[in-house]
Order: sequence, then C-alpha cells, then structure tokens
Amino acid sequence: MKQTIAVYFGGRSTEHDISIITALSSVIKPLELAGNYRVIPVYITKEGRWVSAPALKDISLFSSGKIDAFLQKAKPVQVTFDGGFALNGTRIDVNFPAMHGSYGEDGSLMGVFRMAGIPFVGADMDASVIAMDKVLAKQVAEANDIPTSKFVFTTRDAFLADQPGETKRVATELSFPLFVKPAHLGSSIGITRVTDSDELHNALEVAAHYDTKIIVEEAVPNLIEVTIPLMGNKHAKPALVERPLATGDAFFDFENKYIRAGGKKTGGSKHTGSQGYSELPAKLPDGLEEASTATAIDVYKALGLQGMGRVDLLIDSKSKKVYFNEVNPLPGSLYAHNWRAAGVSTVELVKDLILLAEQRHAEHAKTATSFSSSFLRQF
Amino acid sequence: MKYFWTRYLPSYPSVLLYMLQDTEYRLGRYLQWYFRVRDFRTVMKRRTLDRTKKVKLLLLALWILTIAVVLAAGWLTGQALATAQYELLLLAGVVILLLPFLLAFGVTVPLFVGWLLIQKPREAQIIRRARTVLRDHPATRIAVVGSFGKTTAKELLKTVLGEGLHVAATPGNMNTPIGISRFAHTLKGIEDVLIFELGEEKVGDVRRLARLTNPEYALVTGINEAHLSSFGSLENTISTIFEIADFVEPTKLYKNEDSALVAKAKNKSNLWFSTKRVGDWRMSHVETAISGTTFLMKKGKETMRIQTNLIGTHTVGVTAAVAALAYRLGVPIATIEAGMKKVQPFEHRMQPRPLHGAWIVDDTYNGNSQGVAAGLEFLKKSGAKRRIYVTPGLVEQGSKTMEVHQTIGSQIAKAADVVVLMQNSVTEHILSGLHKAKFKGHITIVENPLQFYTNLDQFVAAGDVVLMQNDWTDNYQ
Repeated sequence: MKQTIAVYFGGRSTEHDISIITALSSVIKPLELAGNYRVIPVYITKEGRWVSAPALKDISLFSSGKIDAFLQKAKPVQVTFDGGFALNGTRIDVNFPAMHGSYGEDGSLMGVFRMAGIPFVGADMDASVIAMDKVLAKQVAEANDIPTSKFVFTTRDAFLADQPGETKRVATELSFPLFVKPAHLGSSIGITRVTDSDELHNALEVAAHYDTKIIVEEAVPNLIEVTIPLMGNKHAKPALVERPLATGDAFFDFENKYIRAGGKKTGGSKHTGSQGYSELPAKLPDGLEEASTATAIDVYKALGLQGMGRVDLLIDSKSKKVYFNEVNPLPGSLYAHNWRAAGVSTVELVKDLILLAEQRHAEHAKTATSFSSSFLRQF
Repeated sequence: MKYFWTRYLPSYPSVLLYMLQDTEYRLGRYLQWYFRVRDFRTVMKRRTLDRTKKVKLLLLALWILTIAVVLAAGWLTGQALATAQYELLLLAGVVILLLPFLLAFGVTVPLFVGWLLIQKPREAQIIRRARTVLRDHPATRIAVVGSFGKTTAKELLKTVLGEGLHVAATPGNMNTPIGISRFAHTLKGIEDVLIFELGEEKVGDVRRLARLTNPEYALVTGINEAHLSSFGSLENTISTIFEIADFVEPTKLYKNEDSALVAKAKNKSNLWFSTKRVGDWRMSHVETAISGTTFLMKKGKETMRIQTNLIGTHTVGVTAAVAALAYRLGVPIATIEAGMKKVQPFEHRMQPRPLHGAWIVDDTYNGNSQGVAAGLEFLKKSGAKRRIYVTPGLVEQGSKTMEVHQTIGSQIAKAADVVVLMQNSVTEHILSGLHKAKFKGHITIVENPLQFYTNLDQFVAAGDVVLMQNDWTDNYQ
C-alpha cells in the first residue's frame, strides 16, 4: 500500500520561487518515481493561502504565469487535526516541507506538524528556529566551542531609532571588511559586503528592509567557502565537501547562486551559466576536508538538527582555521546534487529522508505527554 | 470484455494503424498483437503514429468505412421502426458490435492486395536484378550469420578491413532478400570486399540469402533461442544457420566455439574462434573495462596487439576472428591494429555513457540470453560501488520462456546489487530465478519503462554502473 506524502512549497518568503523549484524537481519528482508514494502537492501562496491540486506538480503552470488564473479558481485546502493530519479529507502519512526561509523553514510549519502529531521531514521546530536565526545559531555554536567569525547584531527598531549611532557601534566593534546580513533569510538575499562606514550604513538599511534582525560579521581572510550536506537523526552522515565558486564578484550572492549558475537549483549542469558553480568534491589543502566535515557534524549536533541539513563553513586557508558560517535546515536542490555525487541517488535520498522522519516520530512517541494527578479535584 | 468499449474510442482507427506501422506492416504479427490487446487505450506508449502518406490514406479509408457502417446501422434502425420489423434492430446491433473487427481486419485487405499485386512483383524484380549485380561483382564476399552478434561482427569487419580496402556492408538491419538486393543496387562495382548480414527467421532463409550473395567466407556468430516462435524448434534454428556451410568451404567458415549450440553442431571444421583461439592464433592478456577491451594474438612469430572500445570479454572471440580474417586477406598487422582502435561501441550495444558520475551501459538492442550472460559477467566484475541491472527480459523465447528467464534471474543474483524489472509477462519468471538464487539485493518493478528511462538521472548516483539490457517495443507485453 502506497504511503501518502504531502509536499509543501512556495510560502510567505523571499525564497518562494526557489522553494517551488526545490519541491518540483528534487522532492515530488523522485517521490513519484520511487513508486512507493502517493504525492499530494500543497502550494502556499505568497499571501499564505494553501491550495492543492495535481496540476501544481507541473512547473509549466508556474513558468507560464498561468498560476494566477489557476489560484483564482482554486479552493483553499481544508486541514483537519483528527488525531492525525488530513488535507481535504485525505489522511497524510508523512509531511515533506520543501520550503525555504520565513514561515516554512523557520520552524513555523514544523510547529503545525508537531501539533498534529504527524511525521515530517527535516529538522524539528526548535532546531529550525535556531538554525534560521543566524545570530542564535552562532551563539549556540560558540557555546559549544565551535569557532565563528567575529560578529555583532542589531535590530530594525534599534537601527531606525539611531542610524548613525548603530552604524558607529558596529564599525567600532568590528574590523572592515564586513558582511551585513538579514538574520533570518537564506539564498544570500539582502547580503552586502562593505569596506567602510558609509557602505555599512547603506547595507544596514538594505538588511533592515528584509528583516527585523541584522547580523554583521567580520570577513574571514584568505577565504575558502565550503558547504557540507548532512543527513541523519542521532548520527549525522556527511555527503561531500563542496566549494561554491563565484564569478569574480566579491562574494557568492543570489545572482551567482541561481541566475548565472544556469539555475543549478533546477538541476542545471555545472558547466552552464557561470562555468563552474561549484567544485565537488572540493580540492582543499591537506587536512581541511576532514576538519570541515568534523566541524559540520559538530554544528549539526550542537543545533539539534535532524533529518537533513546543510552546514556552510568559512576557512582561512593560511591559518587553516575552520569557522561556522550558517546552517540551512531545509536545503534546496544543491543538497540532492551533492548526495548524488556522494553515491546516493535522488530517489534513494527522498526515501531515506522519509524513513528518518518516521524514525524520529516513533522516537518522540515514546515521550510521555500526560501526567496523572489529582490537581483538578481540588476545584 | 471489460475493455471492449475501448474499441469504440475515436482513437481506435489510429491505434490500429499504429500497430500496423510498429510491426512494419507484417500482417501476421499485427494480427497476433491485435488479439493480445485488451485495452486499446494503452497500446501507444513508446511513440505516436507517424502520419505518412500511406497512413493518411488508410486512416481516411477506415473513417469512411466507420461512417458507412454507422449509417447502415442507422438506416436499419429506421427501417425497423418504420416497418415494425424489429429483427432489423437486432441486425443493426450486430453490425455495430462487429464494427471494430471489420475495421481491424478490413485494413489488412488493401495492404494484402497491394502487397500481392504491386509490392511482391516489384520486389521480385529488384531481387532478380540484384542477383545479376552480385554475380558479376568482383569483390570478396563475406557473410555474417547467426542468432546474435551479427551487427558487431559486421561493423568490426567493415571498420578493420576498411583501413586498407574498399569495403561495403549491408546497412542497419537490411538482412532480408529485398534489403540485400536494395543494397546491391547501391554498389559501384569497385569494392574490394562486400559484407552481408544474413537474417533468419524461418527454415531456408540463410540458403535463400546465400544463393543471392554467393559468399566466399562466412562467420557464424552464435546460435540461441532467438525467433524460436517462428522456427518452431532449436533444431530448425541450427540447421537453418548451418545452411551457410553448403556455400562456403570448411576452411573459410569461422565458427564461434563459445556458443554451445554452434560448438555442438555438425559440419565441424578446424576453423573455430573463441576467447582463447582463432584457428592457429592464440589469445592472451585479455582485459576488459568500461573504456574497452585489450588482448594479444599470437601465431608463430606474429603478434597482434588488439585494442577496441568494445566492452566485455564476449567481444574477444569475434574481434579475434575478424583480425584473423583480415590478416588472411592480406591486411598488414599494423593496419589491423590501427583499425581495431577505431572500433567504437555500436549504438545500444554495450554502449557506455557517463551520467552524473555513474556509467550507463546501454545494451537495449541486445535480445538474447548469451548477451545477457556476457553483460552480467561484465557487471559482476565492473568494480562499481553499486551494480544496477535493468531489463524487461527477452522476447520470442517460445516454449523456453520460463526456463530462460529463471536462468537470467539466477545470473542476475550473482552479478547485481540492484535489479530493476519492467513489469510484463516474464517478470514473474525472473523473480522466481532471483528468489531461487537467494538474491539479497534490492528489487524494483517498474510499470512505466519509458518514464524510468527518461528519468534515469533520478535513480543513479556517482560510482554506479547501470547495465540496461533489452527493450520491449509496444507489441510485446
């Protein structure tokens, strides 16, 4: 008997479009090819409306722009918490979020699934919340003796209340060049590299436009940037160390990641677009591959990630020091691409992730959630 | 009966023509397929109807016939109601009931008449003229005969002899009297060597083609159960293939000793070839990998260092036979060696291609048990991280279907880690062989082969070797 898997994508996030590609190319397609699952697509609109129909599995609905007309006719999904989880009356066995960024990857959706008591793929709510807050993640890493580049953070309110003061504070506490990032966004959106106070002020303004919390980090000298996908619950299994390659720009921004790279998240070849989006496996100086993998596993454990995740690291190639940069609890298509190079096919990968979701759910079920007492009798 | 209504779908006439086109207008095969089909919605899977002029004419005829029959039924109904002769209503019902069969069989009538009155006499004339062309041609003729391996042998001969001589070979599967005759009319008369692939489906086929081509040399590549349904028995297959022995001197007939049925056959001569020897030549240092095959051939003081891009030790025997024949025809050793290096894997025959760090070995044109065994032997020794074997099984195995596929199942069990089977009538036999051999790997059964093939990238990972053997067209289920 086939299991019913609901795949969630889109959402109220700046990474809405990336999420659609992740879901259609790296999740729904391999799930259907695996032959063991009945797949229900759940598209969350930019306004937060949930719709579900088989037609949503077809990328042409989105690429042709027909999605707007489709949504006008589509009925919202009816969600039932009936001791399990049902969509439009169909019982769901496992939820598979393919969301990026806010209201999806940041723990919000995981909270809904936890409430329903249904297995779901990827990190749990608490780990997602930490992972998707770059400040919190770095603080947790530091508390676990995992090196991070020096950073400070501010909030939109604090910055808007005293822009020159906050800019000066940041510039005083850190040494240029710096990276200014919205604390909760992924896909390199809103990130700016700055070399002086004027640029810093402008960058803080940009970041404040996207987020309520802003992190500013010192740049790592002699930089090698690497990323490592991991999979597992109690034991994190690493894929290959991958080195993203930018095209001469100062850093690896959204343009480099998704546009010039020939749309790698859509499964494009590394030989298209930017002529080499990444080096896989990364060719690193002696010992750095092992050190990177060990740090990635430490981060995965420290943040409490489960199911899957991707850890981004920064390496100072001279001092050979490895720094934790950020973590992605629901990575996109690059994740599957790396695993395939590591010897796990895309079909196997989604099957493994569903198995991990079920194992964690079974583990959680062992935890007592009730306590008998005579407390109520006194009233 | 559940799907009888699918014969009344508007697509039904197109489906009939698709079946005719797919069976190359061979009426026997078309009718066999027609009787096997239950649900006519599921016939066109691999491709769509190619709307040639012939198809358009036949489609028009089928629609005219359909409209005529429907009008006749309507008229009968009208008459029945007007004259109260209600038995006419019954007749109208019968006419509508028979309509699908009228179309299915009716379409064969113009084809049969056209074949009888136009095609057959025209083909006879082409063959007659070709006989004269071939009789007068001064070239050395080499025939390639066997149930399997003919294309490989033919292409090897063409590439290697073509290094020093002017060579022509029958293209593709032009291995019937009309195919070879059409090829004969393309010859310029200046060729040094002519290579003929002789096809066989029934007793007497090889004799007919040998009479047409008058070969001086011949290679018997192997004998197996292929076309067993049309031959009736293996004995008939063997005797048909050895019809070539009546046309070629025993010392010029190269026979594959590695093929058990060839080795057992009568008319033995000393000219055998195998992975170990060809006549007086001895082979050694055989190595095969995804990049190709290498070996040494020695006879007295002569040594040939053979290197091809073909995969599998099963290619050694036929490669060596071609090298030995080329040497016999006076081609210098250096030229033979250079020619061999140019031999590329043939399309869909143990043809490797990389995919996301995996190797896909496409052997989908293979259709015999020897090829399966050879491919699995290669897979077993490939050293891959994961050895994946993909097959629908073999067609036309007649009464041996169950036995052949159980054997394949047990062979897979020793060679693969993952097996992907295309769901069809022989799947259960392969599964039975796998279970008997206590296969411990992973089994996937695919209902839609086309979907699997087109999404292969989702199933493979770096380090895999995927061997895809055989492919069933829509007329096999």
